[in-house]
Order: sequence, then C-alpha cells, then structure tokens
Amino acid sequence: MKLPVQTNNPDVGFQIAPMIDVVFVILVFFMSLAAQIRIEQILQTKLPGVSVAGTSTEFVDEQILQIDEAGEVTLNDEAFDSAASRDLPQLTSTLGQLKASSDAAKSKLVVTLASHPDSPYFRTIDVLNALAVAGVTNVTFTAEGEEP
Amino acid sequence: MAGGGGGGDGEPEFQIAPMIDVLLVLLIFFMSIATSSVARYDPGIQVPVAPDANKKEDSEGELVFNIAWRAAENAAVTTFEERVVVPADTIGVLAARKKANPQVRVLVRADSETPVRHVNQVVEAAAKAGIVDVTFATVAR
Repeated sequence: MKLPVQTNNPDVGFQIAPMIDVVFVILVFFMSLAAQIRIEQILQTKLPGVSVAGTSTEFVDEQILQIDEAGEVTLNDEAFDSAASRDLPQLTSTLGQLKASSDAAKSKLVVTLASHPDSPYFRTIDVLNALAVAGVTNVTFTAEGEEP
Repeated sequence: MAGGGGGGDGEPEFQIAPMIDVLLVLLIFFMSIATSSVARYDPGIQVPVAPDANKKEDSEGELVFNIAWRAAENAAVTTFEERVVVPADTIGVLAARKKANPQVRVLVRADSETPVRHVNQVVEAAAKAGIVDVTFATVAR
C-alpha cells in the first residue's frame, strides 16, 4: 500500500493538548511520591556545652534517669511506671514538678539519661517525650562504660 | 456595583489557560514537598512514636544520621550523607561543619528497635565535635 506523501508542511503552532498530557503525568508522579512521605517531628535536646572561662559558674539541678535493659525507668534510683507503659504518666508528672521547683529556684534543671546499651531506642524516645512534656530540654547522655 | 454576570448570548467555553495555571501550581506544590525530604532521609527507617514531639521548623544546618537496624543480622548500619560510616570517624567532619556554621545540629533518625548503644555513638561523636544541638526524629502516631 502506498502511503500518501504530505508535500506541504504548514506551521501547526504550539500544541497545548500533548503539553497538558505530559504535565498531568508529571503531576500524578509527584502526587504519588508525596503520598508516601510521612511527616516527621523532632525531640530536641541540648548537650552540656564547653564553659567559657571568665563567666560566672551556673549551678544546675541535676537529676539522673536510668533505663534498664527491660525498659524500666528509674529517676534517682526510684522506679516509675511499668516497663510496658509508653506514656509514662508518673514520670511525666514528677519531672513536671521538678521543672517547676527548678524554675522557682531560678536554677537550671539538667537530666542525665543513662540508657542500658542494649535497651531499645524507642524506650529512650518515650523518656525524651516525657521530658518534652515536662519542658526539660537540657539532657545529657552517658557514654558506654561511663558511670551516670 | 454591577456584577460580572453572564449577560452575553454566547455559550461559555472551556478556558484552557486558567486550567494550565492551576495545573502548574499543583505541580510545583507536589514537587516541592516530594523532593525536600527524600534526598537525605532513608525511607526504610521506622522512627519511634512520640506524641508530644515538636514540629520541625526548618532543615537548615541539619546533619542527618540514619541508623538502620538489621534484626536478622543483629547489626546496625549508620549512614551519614549517603555513606555508611562509623560514628567516631565523623568527628572531624562534624567539627568542620560546626566551625563553618555554628548553628548546625545533628538529627538522629534511627529504627525504633535499634539498641541504644548505636544512637549513643552518634551523640558521643556530636558532643566530641562540639555540637550541642542533637535532635531525634519521631512520628506523631
């Protein structure tokens, strides 16, 4: 079969329809990509910084929180909540009281968090969440082999 | 004031120009939210739940450590800037970043089941590099 040969080549101009097709495809691609993104939040902590000589020494109110391998939380050697409790109501309440008393005394509350090296990370996050609720941001972490 | 009511006789036609405008705005919106967080974040990491965490304001000066926990191998893989690293080896890089921009902060994204020793190694490296702002990525639920 002989195909008809188009001899004249008129200027067809800018074609909007294929452009919209392409834009739609790109739009659907990015929409599907965006749907998979989970919005993350953050828990902020401030590690103890290096003190500058010549400035007055600030006295801090230090509390020691420990998490054992099973996930049990102790504050100054006193156990709070059960290892299965994720929202730690007793600990949150006690930390809130400590924060309020530190604020009243105009001292800085610093919490040292000593997690057992084999304890799961989510338990540390549970405790950091309780600290965030209580308004405590000055948190230090003990390194492995270091005594709290 | 007279309204712009259709007093004309002609049948209203489908307007292609405003549709393209809306389409391009939607495209730019989805492109911006899709590309902003994909590059540095490992999507395979299941970060822990913290209902009372703060909303992240911006990602400027953020040094992201991804810690993936391989339970089957009983091993953690720490990545920084898309490279597998030992946290202690990054102290020099972190210190240089801190020197260049004092506002930098370390963001730890770790699987919720990761033993905390691996997270502590990153925190220790940050502390040795002089970075005091350490944040932990979580999800609300």
